[in-house]
Amino acid sequence: MGAFGHYLTGHFDTLRIEFWGLLVGGLATGFIYGMVAIGYTLVYGVLRLINFAHSEIFMSGGFASYFVLKAVMGTTVPSGLATVWFIVVGVLVGGAAGALVATGLERVAYRPLRRRNAPKLAYLISAIGASYFMFNLAGKEFGRYNISMPQPYINHSVFTVFGAPVQLYYIVILIAGVIMLVSLDRVVATTKLGRSIRAVAQDAETASLMGVNIDRTIALTFILGGALGGAAGFLFGLGNGVVYTMGFVPALKAFTAAVLGGIGNLRGAVLGGLLLGVAESLSVAFVQAAYIDVVAFGILVLVLLVRPTGILGERLGRSA
Amino acid sequence: MKFRLNKTVAAVASGALLLMVVPFAGFASTSGAATKPTYVIGYEGPLSGGNQQLGLNMIFAVQLAINNANATGKLPFKLKLAQYDDQGSGTLSPAQAQAAVANKKLVAVVGPAFSGATEAAEPYYSAAHIATVSPSATAAALANGTQNNFMRVVAGDDVQGAADATYLVKTKSLKTLAVINDGSFYGAGLAAVVAKSAAADGATVTPNTYPETGSCGGTASVSEYTAAATQIVASNPSGLFYGGYYCDFGLLLGALSSAGYKGTIMSGDGSWSTALIAGTTPASAANGVYLSEAGGGNSNLTGKLASEYKAISHFTANNATYAAQSYDATNMIIAALQKVKLASNLTSLRKSLVVELHKLSYKGVTGAIKFQGNGDLTRSSVVDFGQVSGTTINSIGHS
Repeated sequence: MGAFGHYLTGHFDTLRIEFWGLLVGGLATGFIYGMVAIGYTLVYGVLRLINFAHSEIFMSGGFASYFVLKAVMGTTVPSGLATVWFIVVGVLVGGAAGALVATGLERVAYRPLRRRNAPKLAYLISAIGASYFMFNLAGKEFGRYNISMPQPYINHSVFTVFGAPVQLYYIVILIAGVIMLVSLDRVVATTKLGRSIRAVAQDAETASLMGVNIDRTIALTFILGGALGGAAGFLFGLGNGVVYTMGFVPALKAFTAAVLGGIGNLRGAVLGGLLLGVAESLSVAFVQAAYIDVVAFGILVLVLLVRPTGILGERLGRSA
Repeated sequence: MKFRLNKTVAAVASGALLLMVVPFAGFASTSGAATKPTYVIGYEGPLSGGNQQLGLNMIFAVQLAINNANATGKLPFKLKLAQYDDQGSGTLSPAQAQAAVANKKLVAVVGPAFSGATEAAEPYYSAAHIATVSPSATAAALANGTQNNFMRVVAGDDVQGAADATYLVKTKSLKTLAVINDGSFYGAGLAAVVAKSAAADGATVTPNTYPETGSCGGTASVSEYTAAATQIVASNPSGLFYGGYYCDFGLLLGALSSAGYKGTIMSGDGSWSTALIAGTTPASAANGVYLSEAGGGNSNLTGKLASEYKAISHFTANNATYAAQSYDATNMIIAALQKVKLASNLTSLRKSLVVELHKLSYKGVTGAIKFQGNGDLTRSSVVDFGQVSGTTINSIGHS
């Protein structure tokens, strides 16, 4: 073997660690995309519109949890149960803020249009207007610079997967993400609310004739999607800090993930998010990082060419 | 990507609004001092956006120099400041430059602050013969020609980058280096000089580009830094240099610390700001990071100037990167303006100011300043080094 063999094994180790490391990081990003994508897909299911202000729901969740954590957390980094407690507080506050902003958005930007039977294009402009209003307001109020989120733990590598370290931050994202996504899946699949959401998604008119309160169902759909989006904002902020433009790129990616997985399909949104996160991350092993987005959107186009309705089609609603 | 386009359009539109407001401000002031003419010194740089802190550091120093000059009562004219916010962006700076050119009382500009913005704005200033004295635009390519209307009171990136490379490879004895840049005109330029010089000094260099992210005014996904950190930890270079600005550098530092990177990290003047520490999650990830700045000599406002600066800006002068350079740049313009024949014709006044600035030898707070024909300083500047320690940046010597 000699020196060359040693060189090869050395490089193989690097590649292996790189692969697993990139995979783990990609999955963490993917979970955040997935949680945001759920918001797009839920609203699309019941209203047949893309809520382009969803990025600001994400941002609101990040800022709300930042302010609360800053207020309740001391200067020392907590440990043990306190860490878990602060993470739960962050997720809940982020989720509550997201749900609140989503409700407000539905009331102000969408319901009046729905009452007047406005064309779909009006919703789109209304959403973009609300998005600009909100992120500029946040920039004005909170400053136009990145702010570090108080840390409820000292981030470190907890264990390794094939030599690649897995950080505590990723584990937090993974656990929080899985709990929330599974709960949402159960809510939509088994509860009365879930049934009315599915009914409205399938045929709003018939659902209302059958006694489903459409306004209430739509409002609750926004709350569900908003809560997940806001909580995702907190999880994102935990690693990257919060800033008024933080929602723009992740939300665009999440929208992509929702379309990739099949818009209107909840599991598709999560699958799309994970795929996009992992594809982005792994592409770094092959091309320069500057091409991440080129690769990500290249994949989107390829998937849509083969399956125009996305990977899992459109099971939640009728074909658009 | 339509969103992005709209954002740009909105920003350009707001720039155009500013253009309409500024001349009125100029007229209003003339009534106050009827006997003396009023001249406007412009400032162009980032006053909002992810990297606003550097611009704010500068504009208060420009304001201070103007205030102090007006307060002497000896000037045959009255000076006013007009601000042009380009957010440090080459997309927005041409509109701001056009607004400055259109200002009928504007004689010269301090700035533009960022190299990419300068590159994009300079054709407009140059066509209008407006002297632009930058406190911070360090890209090597900006200095060219003779009687260049662009001048700068800092050394170019060729000087800074070479000093940084020597520091990492010789002083710190690092043999493998990852040299990363943000894809900006400034960041890529500085990183290229570092990579070239480090290779010449004997180090193995791996270059890479991670474009500016959505959290810092760019369009890339923040997750690129997670991937970057994974790759860097896997190949484990002994040192890392980042060419770019503090906002994105902070995100990279957070990712590197999470991934457990233990090597030596350094960045240039675009990252030398305490805002780097405030924006890094966790803040401890910035601890121990080395920074450089092509300032030279005494590059902070001190004594009376420091307290006057603090009074108007609420910033501590020691942490206000480029405040001293901005103060000097403004005073150079004021000194030149006192030497030229005050013509009523705006274009000839602007033109003669460029000529006068090239003749001037000035003793500023950052040292002796004289420009070469290409706009670079004649003196060979020293490069200052600093290191993040807790919430401050400590000076640790110079090249």
